[in-house]
Order: sequence, then structure tokens, then C-alpha cells
Amino acid sequence: MTWSVELEGRPGGRPARRRTRMERRYRRLLTLYPKAHRREHAEEMIGVLFAAADYDARVRAPKPVAWALRSGQHVADCADLVAGAARIRGRMLVNRVKQATRSSWMVRDPRWSDALAVISVIAPVLLLVAALAEFHLPQAVASSVTGHPHWRLTAALGLGDLPLAAGAPAVAALALLRLRRLAGLGALAVAIGQVVAAVQRPDSPITGYASPVVAFTVLLACTAAAALLLSPGPGRGLALLTRGGAALIGAGALILGGFSVGGNVWLDSRSGFTKDLGSEVTGLPGDLLIAAVLVAAAAGCLRAPVSRRVLVLLAIPVIPYAIWWQEKLASDLFGQDAGASASIASSLPLLYLPPLLLAGVIVAGTWLARRRAVRQGRPASAAGPRSAVSA
Amino acid sequence: MQEPTFLILTALAAGAQHGYGIMSDVARISDGRVRLRAGTLYAALDRLKADGMVSSDKEEVVDGRLRRYYRITDEGTAQLAAEVRRIRANAAVAASRLGLAGGTL
Repeated sequence: MTWSVELEGRPGGRPARRRTRMERRYRRLLTLYPKAHRREHAEEMIGVLFAAADYDARVRAPKPVAWALRSGQHVADCADLVAGAARIRGRMLVNRVKQATRSSWMVRDPRWSDALAVISVIAPVLLLVAALAEFHLPQAVASSVTGHPHWRLTAALGLGDLPLAAGAPAVAALALLRLRRLAGLGALAVAIGQVVAAVQRPDSPITGYASPVVAFTVLLACTAAAALLLSPGPGRGLALLTRGGAALIGAGALILGGFSVGGNVWLDSRSGFTKDLGSEVTGLPGDLLIAAVLVAAAAGCLRAPVSRRVLVLLAIPVIPYAIWWQEKLASDLFGQDAGASASIASSLPLLYLPPLLLAGVIVAGTWLARRRAVRQGRPASAAGPRSAVSA
Repeated sequence: MQEPTFLILTALAAGAQHGYGIMSDVARISDGRVRLRAGTLYAALDRLKADGMVSSDKEEVVDGRLRRYYRITDEGTAQLAAEVRRIRANAAVAASRLGLAGGTL
């Protein structure tokens, strides 16, 4: 490709004067471009503009026609420069708005953002396990394996079961497909559906809300929604999870499914069966094993800063779960009515206040840390670690 | 993919070129139908660079003017190939429905 410059002209001659005027006009129009673009491309663009003008000047035509042709091309080039500047600035504006919209919804601290990303994998899985346990699927499997007659699948699902029965698998599937926002909105819908279902129950709304099962699934769905909507999502979460992380998820799944199986194969005193010490004891090693796995996973996780945050976030839904479990123990092992004579009876403030306080402390703590970091003129935290869970 | 983008990537598919080289090549490829001007060309190059489809190559100074070369990246090559396949498939369907010879191009 030749770079022809034919219109150089004598210094001070008409073509040279015209060239100077053209260049001045181009430079004026180039001020419309962003500074960075101008710094990088201005000289180059002027070179291209003159090369194109030189090509147009080669056309052999009567003088007035050639002049009109040249002038027309020059005007078109000037208009195109304006349009190009508008295009680049428009794109920058759109990007800035997108960035602002995205960042305003995302957690900025990389350690909390990564912890939420890990939770966005764990919470949908736990929600799915919770739904399966709620409808006695693990219990039915355990019964069929052990020949225990006590548990069978929940026969008829009512309308109130729909949020968890349909929502939990949908949220888990969407999270697995990396459809972060849809999964997050789905989890939010599950939480709202559970609350509405609790109101619709024949017993009083307070009993519905005050059920540790409802509190657990509502808070778990809320945690999943927050994690999915405020973090980069399961893609980042899976990248962060190592074998240790997978063990944590496994432990979470086991604790939910396993506690239900292990805890409930003890004969329920309310069902009229005679209590059998042998079956009580058979359930116990399973629970102890699950508790040991959870404690080991938790101890392993405490080493990495992101993992500590993962555990803190998981504590939000686990608090009502722990109350649920102690009620279950009180009911099954000691033959007391669930909730009524358990050592800690579940109630609305007991189930919801500690998790909400914990969530409040997390939000306030991160906000204060960011403010302190801004005051000291340093980033809120160092870049996130490569792996969330040190195996 | 818009036509100017397609033509710029096609021009660069043969090798690295500078701004005016791309303009001339695009005019030649489109048989004079598309004439890119500096504003359009550099807005497109800016976007293609941001999308990782084009990158800057060497620089040189000719007649006192800076001349920067651009080359297509692997991502740009993949996108161009995908667009070619799409256009070819559409053209084949159109040709077959029009009853043009062969039905495939």
C-alpha cells in the first residue's frame, strides 16, 4: 500500500495554505474525541485523512468539478469525524452506566464477594437437600435400605409445599447453569412463597413462622438470593472451591439429609410406637459422624479468610436449623413434644433475631471497614485469594 | 456483525495493515461500494480492540506522520469465521429457494 502525498505544494503556496487550514479543522474536530483516544490516535488519524484527501485529489476533472469533489469529500470526512466521536463517547457512556449499575449491586470487598460466590454454590445445593428432606426422600431411601417401616415419601403435596418442592430444584438447576440473576430471583421467590405458605397454613401464622423448618428454608433461600444477586455467582464460586470446598458442600448436604435420616429413624414418640432404645442408638453414630465431618470442615475452613466468611454467612440459616435439631433431639430422644418442652423452645424472636442480627453485623462491619479504608486512602482489602478453602 | 466490522476483519485477515491500508482494502473488497472514513474506521477499531478482536501491531513514521499497524487476534479470527459460516448458510438457503444453480454457493 502506497502512502501517496501529492498535495505537498510549495511552502506558502495555495495547496500548502489549504492543507494547513484542513489540518487545523481536523485538529479542532479531534478535540471532540476523548483525551485518551486523541493521545493515541490523533496523529495517525490526521495522516489517514490526508492520505484519503490526496487520493481524491488525483481524480482528473475540470477545475470546478475537482474543487467541488474535494470540498464534498472534506465535508464528509469532517462529518464522519463528528459521528465517530459521538459513537466512541456514546459507547463510553453506556459502559460507564453498565459498570455503575453492576457495581452498585455487587459487593465490593473481594473477600466478601468471593465468600458470597462460594455461598451461591452451597446455598442452592443445601436448599435442594432441605426440600428433599422435607418431603422425606432421604428418609424413604433410608427406610427402603434398612427395612425400617417408619418413613415413606410425603404422599400428597399441597399447594403450600409448592414453593419448596418446585422452587428448590429450579434454583439449584439455574445456579448450576450459571444463570445467576434468574437463580437469585428464584431463591427470593422461594423465600416469599415459604412465608406466604406459612400464613396459609391452618394453624396460626405465628406457629407457621415460628416453625424452625420454615425459618430455616426462608433464611436459606434469602441467603442464596443475596449470594446469587450480590456476587459474581456460581462460576466464580466453583472456581474458588477446591477439594476442601467440595467437602464443605458435602458436609452441608449430609448434615441436612443425614440429620433427618439419622435423627428420625429414632421412633417418634408422637406416632404411638413404643420407644426402642436400640433404634435410638443406631441413629446416633450417623449424627456423630456428620457432626464430626462438619466440625472438621469448619476447622479446615477457618484457615483461609474467605472460608471464615463463608462459615459466618452459612451461620445465618444454620441458627434456626440448630434449634430445629435440638427440638428433634428433645422430641425423639427424650420423648418430649417438639417445641413444647425442649430445652430451648422455638419462637419467632429466637429463630429470626440472631440470624438477622448476624446479617446486620456483617453489613455494618463491612461498611465500617470500607469507610476506614477510604479514610486511610487504601483499597478496602487486598485482592481475593486464589482459593476459598485451603484443603 | 455489521458490514464495516466484517470488512475490516476481512482486510486484516490477510495480514497486519495500517489505517489507510485498511480503508483502501475495504474499498477494494467491497468493489468500491463501502468507503470507510477516518471517523468510522477508528470508532470501529476502538470497539474491536476493546472486544479483543483486533490489536495494535508495529508503528512507523512516514513523511513525518505516525503510521500504526493493526492485526486480527485469534478471537477476531474465530468471530470472522463464525460470521462467514452464518452468511454462507443463509446464502445457500436463499439460493436454493430462488432456484439458483446448485442451490449451494
